[in-house]
Amino acid sequence: MKCLNDAQIQAIVDREAGDDVRQHAESCGHCGDRVRGRQALAAAAVEAINAPSGIPPDFSRRVHFALSEGSNPGATRLRATVARGGSSRPALWTVAAVTAATLIAVLFVAPIVKGPATVSASEILAKSASRLAERVTGIESLEYELVLDGMTREMMPDHENGTYRMKQVIDHDTAGRYLLATYDPSGALVSSIVQDPAANRRVVSARVEDVPYRFEFTLPDNVTLSPPELERLHMGASVAMMQASGNQQLQVIEGAAGRQYRIEVPHVSAESSGAVWDLAEAQVVIDADDYHIVAFAVKGTFLKQPYSLSYRLINRTIAAGTAVQPGLFDLPQDPGAITIKGEGTAIPARDVLVSALGELARARQARQ
Amino acid sequence: MQASRAAQDLFEQHGAAVYRFATVLLHHQQDAEDVVQETFLKLLHHLTAGGDATNLRGWLFTVAAHAARDRQRRRARWIPWAQVHDPRVAPPQLPDEDGRLRAARAALHRLPNRDRLLLALRAQELSYRDIAVASGIRPSSVGRLLARALDRWGRECSSTAPAGPGQKIKTERHGLI
Repeated sequence: MKCLNDAQIQAIVDREAGDDVRQHAESCGHCGDRVRGRQALAAAAVEAINAPSGIPPDFSRRVHFALSEGSNPGATRLRATVARGGSSRPALWTVAAVTAATLIAVLFVAPIVKGPATVSASEILAKSASRLAERVTGIESLEYELVLDGMTREMMPDHENGTYRMKQVIDHDTAGRYLLATYDPSGALVSSIVQDPAANRRVVSARVEDVPYRFEFTLPDNVTLSPPELERLHMGASVAMMQASGNQQLQVIEGAAGRQYRIEVPHVSAESSGAVWDLAEAQVVIDADDYHIVAFAVKGTFLKQPYSLSYRLINRTIAAGTAVQPGLFDLPQDPGAITIKGEGTAIPARDVLVSALGELARARQARQ
Repeated sequence: MQASRAAQDLFEQHGAAVYRFATVLLHHQQDAEDVVQETFLKLLHHLTAGGDATNLRGWLFTVAAHAARDRQRRRARWIPWAQVHDPRVAPPQLPDEDGRLRAARAALHRLPNRDRLLLALRAQELSYRDIAVASGIRPSSVGRLLARALDRWGRECSSTAPAGPGQKIKTERHGLI
């Protein structure tokens, strides 16, 4: 028998080799040396891979909790019960409304849930609302999961799934400077918007039927509320509605992230109120240290269209405003993108539509 | 309820190994945690549905490998605005005073994904058959590809190994490093 090849040597080390191969290695000094050398190498690799690194205790608790709960972690819990039916129609105010939507939350914080606390739910909601209204300085970065259903889902450019991962950066020291990116569950970029008053620029990018588009606009003199600001307002308004409810249920959660308050309101507004905006149910999880909202979920109707929204904060950081990196508030150029430029107004969605239609008209004229 | 208890017991037995496995593959703590949780929730569903329980360790690593591969693909497509928005979380510090393990693990992360996956699966003492299922390669190719992966890892180690006695890894073809 000829000397063994690398795969055969490896098979011996892995106890997968046949008798004839093993017998050869035992009788051949050269192959025996190779087996021993490879055994040493494999042992070193196993040691490096299996080097002791314990599972984080808080994570272990979360998994145990999820397994004891049964299944369905995550912010999709409300989606199974969201009201269906009724027509839903995309609207031009989509972007603002949907981004504002970013507020919702069913949480799957897994930790240990304690019984009712003595602290008042209304007081916690009030503190959280105050915190939302507080002035923040520096660069705030947020990463969160967003799950939409009903009307809000229909309004998104890609509404097959309704689950998105969002990234948002806000320069609180420069009014109107922000970026907002939406990714689908696979991590693919759905759309993005960046606005930088200092550069007099707003850039919107989106991909439609696999064609990338880039819209570049100058900014108007008066830049109104940005989508992140709208989100903040919407969240504040929802918390205020919860606060106004007399049926709040509070739980104190001691978890990996420290103490959190979970407040649930089974029904927020009166039935058949005919209100423009009606919340049927709402839940919020609030960090006990600084009262920021960790998770938020609502379902209800807007303009009589059913919707649900859930939001789960993944990361939040605030850096000094002086630490703005070059290009942070800009979008990378996609060489294959169709770029359309124009003058912007206060409403980004309108600008996109009008500029796209304008380009269409020009293209038609050029053909004639 | 019984399935839930069984899944929790299996998490106690294999959770740390699956976590280490996912960490080695992904080098991203949050993603690794997601993979572990997803794996054990799938295990719960598997047990609840009365699935085959004869080789659950192999089953766990197969599911974890697939979940990790999905994460890697997502990460590859993920376009961070800036690196600051997509921080890689360093793995927890190991009891590795001489830096040898750290260098060896760093070398792992320089390997192609498939090499790293094969080595990580073998380190869990999975059979070639299970490795083939988990990695999606033909069973007859496992030995050859494992050998190559191990050689590549040895070469990576030799290019960065710290000097000093007791920190040397003997390789088949490249001598002491």
